[in-house]
Amino acid sequence: MSVKIKKTVHSFSGIFLKILALLIAVAAAQSVSFAADSQTTLAISIRTLSSPYQVMYKVGAEAYAKKVGLPLDVLTTEANSQKGLTDIKAEVARTGANVAFYIDPNDASDAVPIAKTLEAAGVYFVTWWSKPADVKVWDYPHWIAHISFDGLAAGTYTATELFKTFKTPGQGKIIALQGRLGDTPNAERWEGLQQVLSKNPGVQLLQWESAQWDRTQAYNDTKAMLVAHPDIDGVWTANDDMAMGAIQALKEAGLSGKVLVTGCDGIPEMFDAIKGGLAAATILNDGKYQAQLGLAMSLAAKEGKLDVKSLPKKYRQFEIPAVNVNRENVDKIVHDYLEATPTYDLSDFFGQWSVAIP
Amino acid sequence: MPRLLPAKGRSWFRRSGIGGQLLSLVIVMGIFTIGTKGRYVSGANLQVILSLAAIPAIISIGLHQVVVLGGIDLSVEGVVALCVVLVGFLAHNKFNSNDVGLWIVPIIVGFGGLAGVINGLLNTKLRIPSFISTLGMSWVLWGLAVYVSKGQTVPLLKNPLSVFVNGTLLGIPDLALVAFVLFLVIQIVQDRTRFGRYLYAIGGDEVLTAQAGVNVDRTKIIVFGIAGLFYGLSALFLAAELESAQAITGNNLLFPAVTAVAVGGVALTGGIGGAKNAALGALIVTALNDGLILLNVSPYAQEAVNGFVLVTAVALTIDRRKLGFIK
Repeated sequence: MSVKIKKTVHSFSGIFLKILALLIAVAAAQSVSFAADSQTTLAISIRTLSSPYQVMYKVGAEAYAKKVGLPLDVLTTEANSQKGLTDIKAEVARTGANVAFYIDPNDASDAVPIAKTLEAAGVYFVTWWSKPADVKVWDYPHWIAHISFDGLAAGTYTATELFKTFKTPGQGKIIALQGRLGDTPNAERWEGLQQVLSKNPGVQLLQWESAQWDRTQAYNDTKAMLVAHPDIDGVWTANDDMAMGAIQALKEAGLSGKVLVTGCDGIPEMFDAIKGGLAAATILNDGKYQAQLGLAMSLAAKEGKLDVKSLPKKYRQFEIPAVNVNRENVDKIVHDYLEATPTYDLSDFFGQWSVAIP
Repeated sequence: MPRLLPAKGRSWFRRSGIGGQLLSLVIVMGIFTIGTKGRYVSGANLQVILSLAAIPAIISIGLHQVVVLGGIDLSVEGVVALCVVLVGFLAHNKFNSNDVGLWIVPIIVGFGGLAGVINGLLNTKLRIPSFISTLGMSWVLWGLAVYVSKGQTVPLLKNPLSVFVNGTLLGIPDLALVAFVLFLVIQIVQDRTRFGRYLYAIGGDEVLTAQAGVNVDRTKIIVFGIAGLFYGLSALFLAAELESAQAITGNNLLFPAVTAVAVGGVALTGGIGGAKNAALGALIVTALNDGLILLNVSPYAQEAVNGFVLVTAVALTIDRRKLGFIK
């Protein structure tokens, strides 16, 4: 590079840095004035916006924020627990703790540092899906509730539906794909499969792999497993993205429609697969409802409308039912939940309560 | 080195640069063949290994040249993510009426190449270390991919590429053939062209090479550009394989690619290793993973095995004299 260009770049980077510093100062000043603002900020912390299921959180949260007329911040962990915690701390600082949170922890063990942080800041929050079993919500006054969809029921339902599709129902061989092994919903759904297997001695689980909730990995793993086990009757997976990967591998092996798969989440492609005879069943976890319920509860607690201290323990950590979807009801589900958004009754936070998490 | 081979064989083993890797591959495959009572080397499984190794091989062949220069390219996942999202937008899909047919190939490959060139410019003109510039690019492109796609998955409809990615020629998967041709082309460029000479000269000693009058910046930009082209191509194949386009398709591609490059014998310190090393490394990593699945090794142990293999490979191939203090 010539001396002249070097000098220009040098002075350019000098000016650039000064402008950057100025912008940061302005932003900091702005955020200080935000803290003085009396408007509560709604915030959600989710894994990613690149997953069709997780995007539903954002969609639901935005609809709710619009309804109550409050600003919304969407934080993504991108599967990085450190980033998740740092972003939450930054959000608390930025809003001066004037925030209500809905959080889907990246990993079960993240729930503890998150709870300690928000408890110390006096911020109300609701968590979903993953928390360590020995950590109790009622030990933290600002942790309103931990809610989950009944993963055990999900795994049980999809396994049961899958076994019905065999040439001889209840007799056959399957392979399976788990999600991230550290995720609570994965463990619950897997337990569901195990329970149905023990009740159906005629069905054999030949092999399982962990495809990390990822479609490409599910495709690769299924392809490899089909070599070891070319003669199977079904594929059980812990979520729809992996199910779609498995469907592709089965297609290449010429087993489309003969060997069905199951998943969980209720993504649009899975409904198409069920309609098309490639999949047997899935569970619709209504992400829009999750986010709205979580934010509604946090906001109510913050505004003093929900007395967290007086809630019985069973309402502090509980599960709600999801929607079971199979070949018989898929059209109705698509109509009710995908083509429209049902109006959620958020007046009774515990209306859907199905079972307490011990 | 076993004295079983005659002197000529032994000197080829030393000079070829892939002797160790070939031996490792044979040993690994041998172990799995015995363990699976021959199923590992059945036609069906060999086909699967080749088809699963193809895309990682293409990525590794692109990536390794940056490593030979002495840098590193961490932008794979971001480039692939954005390219896949573009495929979802332009190819025959469920959400819009676009259908650019086979033009998708030059468009996506070209786009990948453009991303690569930007990587090269960031590294050479703005003097940003490749570790940072490519990592930053990855995040920027990935963020764009998620923003543009709004996290949605676009199902792809019938297109000529889907047929291709599943096809075979004389039993060999078409994808593997493409990877093989690309390996040959790059290997020939490295062995027989001036560009190849420059590549290794820069990797060996950049200062001396620049003083000798070689346009180091231009070579680097071309190398990054080629890497980008390869990432774009792999994105195309991935989308066609899965018949869907989502931003997360790019996830989990970087680690296997870097592992493949290191295992294949490309020194992370630069100047050593070529396309044959990258391609062979990808094959070894895929053969290893496939074998673990076929042997029904606990998934809990598989990640540990991969990590162990990477550390061992790097330990055996880096040139410690170049590193001075190990950071």
